[in-house]
Amino acid sequence: MKRAQRWAALAIIFGLMIGSTATLAGEMKADAATAADAIARAEAAQKKADSVNGEWRDTGKFIKNAKKAAEDGDYAKAVRLANKAESEGNLGYQQAVSQSELKIPSYLKAMY
Amino acid sequence: MKKILISLAVLLVAATTVQAGPEEDRMAFIKYYKGKFPSVPRDEYANGAYAIDPIGRENWEAIEEFPPYEPFIDRGQEMWEKPFANGKGYKDCFPEGPAIAQNYPHWDREQGLVMTLPLALNQCREANGEKPLKYKKGPINNILAYIAFQSRGKVINVEVPKDDPRAMAAFEEGKKFYFTRRGQLNFSCSTCHVQNTGLKVRTEILSPSVGHVTHWPVYRSKWGTVGTLHRRFTGCNKNIRAKPMKAQGPEYRNLEYFLSYLSNGLELNGPGARK
Repeated sequence: MKRAQRWAALAIIFGLMIGSTATLAGEMKADAATAADAIARAEAAQKKADSVNGEWRDTGKFIKNAKKAAEDGDYAKAVRLANKAESEGNLGYQQAVSQSELKIPSYLKAMY
Repeated sequence: MKKILISLAVLLVAATTVQAGPEEDRMAFIKYYKGKFPSVPRDEYANGAYAIDPIGRENWEAIEEFPPYEPFIDRGQEMWEKPFANGKGYKDCFPEGPAIAQNYPHWDREQGLVMTLPLALNQCREANGEKPLKYKKGPINNILAYIAFQSRGKVINVEVPKDDPRAMAAFEEGKKFYFTRRGQLNFSCSTCHVQNTGLKVRTEILSPSVGHVTHWPVYRSKWGTVGTLHRRFTGCNKNIRAKPMKAQGPEYRNLEYFLSYLSNGLELNGPGARK
């Protein structure tokens, strides 16, 4: 039993190492084109969220910082920030669209 | 037959909900707060959070002994009395002034929008060749403080004219904004100011929405100066990590229309002092 546990632990560690290496490799692969693409996707998501008044506070800041990072040659950082902004844009859009109809919350509805 | 009756009942309930007008909304809020704070008289809501926060109220009353907004009232009076470059002044735009805060916001049929006091002041300036004032910080707060002080004791009586569907649409837009969850925290105005009214965010007691508009502009200790209602809306939206709307844009003006209607019957007591 102990041997099996040891093998399992080793397998987990090995898996994590491979995962980390792959992530690092992915980040290292980031270049100007990748960063530009990520920023473009983030800007599109931001615009989409804004079109329904669903933009979040920091989305624009993340994009601005991503652009700055790309200018400084830190493409991995640029991609990371742009992806974060894209995710916020998509979530903000979904949040707004999911509430397109007015719904009075239950705690107040009972008062009508 | 039973199914048909149930369906009809559901439809009736739905129709009743949809048809809830401004007065039904206001009464629902009042009923809700009455249930939550049974010992608070309705007029007390004009004092905002201090109607439900006895310790905060003591501090507030001490601050009011030497009101930090007084210099802004004096500067506002100077602005009110000083003619524009063309010789005319605010007095010409608002002949019934300066106690006019109770007339805002109102539905402006001609322009088809909710007219707020800051917007009306800037329209007056622009009509007389003056540059408009910024809507959140700066001198607009002086003139607003003076008008608010002169309007103390006047009663809020916002009307949503039934014969202009655009007015009801604006009110409903404001209501929709109020109940819409936004930002990374996924909060609506209602989350803090209805559902959790009376509870604390950090050290602050969350205020009820009835009474939110009685005391503007406000000297906030946090700001170290006097600021507008729309500046506060901006701050609220930022707190929940949502991108704020433009001050005096249609979203915030409609929200002000809705919020002001909820405070109908309360006395104006601005300018105010808050933490």
